[in-house]
Amino acid sequence: MEGELSVTDTGNNIRKQICPLLAPRVRFIVENLPDELLVKTEEIRLRHSRPLIIIWAGGESYLGSDGPVATPWEAYKVDGEDLEKTLELLSGYSLYAYEEELRQGYLTVPGGHRVGLAGRAVVEGGRIKVLRDISSLNFRVAREVKGVGEKVLAFILDRRMGRILHTLVISPPQGGKTTLLRDLARLISEGAGILGQSGKKVGIVDERSEIAGCYQGVPQLDVGIRTDVLDACPKAEGIMLMLRSLSPQVIITDEIGRGEDARAIEEAIHAGVSVIASAHGSSLEELCQRPIMGGLLQKNYFERLIFLSNSRGPGTLEMIIEGERGLPLYSARHGGE
Amino acid sequence: MYLKLLGAFLIVSAAYTYGYSISLKYRKRVLQLEELLLGLEMFLAEVNYGLTPLPQAFRHIGRRLKDPLGRLFSDAAALMLKSRGLSARECWKKALKKNYDALELSREGMEIMDRLGFVWGKGDKSGQLNQIVVIQELLRQALREAQNEYRRNDKMWKYLGLLGGLTMVIFLL
Repeated sequence: MEGELSVTDTGNNIRKQICPLLAPRVRFIVENLPDELLVKTEEIRLRHSRPLIIIWAGGESYLGSDGPVATPWEAYKVDGEDLEKTLELLSGYSLYAYEEELRQGYLTVPGGHRVGLAGRAVVEGGRIKVLRDISSLNFRVAREVKGVGEKVLAFILDRRMGRILHTLVISPPQGGKTTLLRDLARLISEGAGILGQSGKKVGIVDERSEIAGCYQGVPQLDVGIRTDVLDACPKAEGIMLMLRSLSPQVIITDEIGRGEDARAIEEAIHAGVSVIASAHGSSLEELCQRPIMGGLLQKNYFERLIFLSNSRGPGTLEMIIEGERGLPLYSARHGGE
Repeated sequence: MYLKLLGAFLIVSAAYTYGYSISLKYRKRVLQLEELLLGLEMFLAEVNYGLTPLPQAFRHIGRRLKDPLGRLFSDAAALMLKSRGLSARECWKKALKKNYDALELSREGMEIMDRLGFVWGKGDKSGQLNQIVVIQELLRQALREAQNEYRRNDKMWKYLGLLGGLTMVIFLL
């Protein structure tokens, strides 16, 4: 999918959207990093009493008061006050408003960036009640890669009927599933290019706020003009809600894994709505062995199976298979169709 | 003679006004504590039913309360919204400092105000609610004391002013 990407200005986004959420001392360090480093930054890691680190594609840098340093000993050590202040700023001074997110271990902030949290879990009845004494924060920079879905869209469109085929996107973690789903939502919703002018109504059930990166319910990433997003909503309930009240033509959701998710997807498919979903996995055999996914695959609900991998960077399109007969429609190894 | 009478009248009214202004301070203290309690009640509702973020909750409360308490909440909200890395406590402290002259609180009252700075936005929902309830209890106690003081001092200062003025006039005449 290389060569089609138009990555948004990550450096600027970090300065404008992430820096205001950092405690002043950390903010000063990150703000003054050279552009060439900020542009490729993927994660900013704050850990109590440990060096401030940024992670970029293929490497990491320790950050000292005046920029990157060679050893962890020279790096700026994040302290409790930095963490506490950063937590206050990124929760808008309102941790009480983010209980569910604290339970899940992440917050989404303006710009669609996600902040992962680690600390002491308070458990009640075997379930995490809340995370407290936060000791690690991981700012994951949201990257909008427009154009990744264009190639895939040609394979999942039934040109004769003008409908989107039921599709399952499969890859190991960090394989680019969510980025692909987001771009497909945008393309299908806007109806540009291959779809002609007829954009479709898209419903995204975004349980983990990853596809649309919603902040206070508003999508921060471009998911198209005819797209409705149910943010932080359990998939099964969300799909049913979509079907009942939002009349979507395409439902997009990520990481199906539970029985109720599969039932809701079946419901959507029988209701005549196209479904695009994703699942963790690296091969069809592996997926078939999992009880829920295996069940769905055996029933041949998905008309297209798309395999992604990390082999040539996140989002490498490996293979597209026709669901019912298992015929390969595209294979990276054979250089195309 | 008329001049003397006018002078006497001026002295008595000045002395009475002085006494009245002191008694007014006690009244203001009571009113401001009542207003703050009302503000905390509103905050509990904002958190409990709306999970409203702190700056927005402060802005709503600021609009509904009378000054200077209303201004205090509005100023703190404004500081949070344009924050350059200030914590909630720092924003509250700055807003308190700005409105300090208009606040007629006792030392205990100011201590409670200061303590509120440590509480805003801290903990999960139930933690935040519990902390505010504790502060409310402290405020109610401070309010009871302020009401007692007001009852004790209101009439005393008004009479003292009036009688002081009259005594001064008698001496002068």
